[in-house]
Amino acid sequence: MIAAADSPVAREITYFCGPVSLALTFEDSSLQQALHGLLSQYDAPWPESRLSICATVTSRNAPVECPPNAGAFLALTRLKVDREGARLVSYGNLGSLMEYDMAAGEARFSVPENPDWPLLVEEVEQHFILLLARAWSQLGWTPMHGGTLIMPGSSRCVLLCAPSGVGKTTLTAAMLRRGWRTLGDDKTLLRKEGNTVVARSLAHRFHLHPNSSRWFPEAGDITQWPTYSRWTDKRVVRIEKLWPDCLAEHAIPGAVVQLLRDETGPALSVQPLDRIATLNTLLLQVAIPSDAEHARPLFSCVASLAANIRGAVFRIGNDAFADPKTAERIEAEFKKLLA
Amino acid sequence: MNNLSSESNRWMLRPDVVATVVNDGAVILDLRTKFFFSANATGWAIAQMFEMGSTRAEVHAASKHWGAVNGDAANIDAIIDQLIAEKLIETTAGTGVAVPGVTVSAWTLPTLSKHKEPLQRIMTSAFDPGLPLAE
Repeated sequence: MIAAADSPVAREITYFCGPVSLALTFEDSSLQQALHGLLSQYDAPWPESRLSICATVTSRNAPVECPPNAGAFLALTRLKVDREGARLVSYGNLGSLMEYDMAAGEARFSVPENPDWPLLVEEVEQHFILLLARAWSQLGWTPMHGGTLIMPGSSRCVLLCAPSGVGKTTLTAAMLRRGWRTLGDDKTLLRKEGNTVVARSLAHRFHLHPNSSRWFPEAGDITQWPTYSRWTDKRVVRIEKLWPDCLAEHAIPGAVVQLLRDETGPALSVQPLDRIATLNTLLLQVAIPSDAEHARPLFSCVASLAANIRGAVFRIGNDAFADPKTAERIEAEFKKLLA
Repeated sequence: MNNLSSESNRWMLRPDVVATVVNDGAVILDLRTKFFFSANATGWAIAQMFEMGSTRAEVHAASKHWGAVNGDAANIDAIIDQLIAEKLIETTAGTGVAVPGVTVSAWTLPTLSKHKEPLQRIMTSAFDPGLPLAE
């Protein structure tokens, strides 16, 4: 059994994750505590929950064996996902299992014992991210891993695309100081509304590296904020505490910027992207299942967006934000893209 | 032209190929290989002929209806051959049904461009597909 801090008393808790509410019953309180950081991060206010999911998280002694050809719906590094009608079945590498009945709004998690507790928790987190991503998609939203920067005096925004660790949050913080606003961290929902694609926020917190305080002294000692993962020193920082009045709830994407880190180059270099490269940049930030029925609306949303916005690659040099002129130049380039 | 692409074969888009219309054509994504393609309006019109199943001759006939001339035949064949080579279409035993509503406002030479890099086949998570960089 999972090493539980308390006796196995069922714990019930509801999380509001954007337009989805998640009513969870945990058999194991230590697992509930371990997952709280992930599930409580979606703190951006939404007017209503349009989809309610009831889920139970139970412990079991033996791992569930993953079928040899699993992963037809989606293959993730830790999970293999299949679909059987309205039912998603997700198999974890360590033998955890998540079943989600999309029609009934019910999910069941089964978690085996495993000596590597942090690894097991991370696997269960991936099941939850999958569950939420599918639930948001059911409501017509496309989850995109990308940051947002909204031009002062406007509702139009630049989407920032890059893998984790390139510097989306650092760039965002640099622009907030110049009067730009953001929807939040790099978890954004997109939806086609007529000829427009709108972006909405899910989380009003940043994952900021403690080193950032050398560029942003107003952030103070970032190490005072809590950590969120054993893999990184980044801290969970509440945006409005450090940069008041910089948050927005929705925006209209007008440009996409692919951020690259350039260890040896100048502080900033900019190259335009053609339409196909713009589309590629956006698609790389969206987990599109291999299942045509579920892939189609996500693909359609991203392709519509790519057809109507400008794209560019920004290469950011080492320690670029030590020079305030870098942020000034980036701002000028953003405004050109949104013009 | 080989046996697989003979005149009499009827071809159909694979069920795990999805497409979406954009301003001046369409983007086609092969969910099996994760490669995507951009087609101009006439390239997309030809691809649409295979949604319900078509033969090469039926595509040529439709193209003439849309404004193609005899000199365009090689370009039309090249698009069909590319769809076959990329395995976006496969042979079907069905009899085929005329595709309603496929129209082309002005005939231009059809194009189908394959993007050089596929999307990720294995992703990190259902929200963050890319691999994080080491810090």
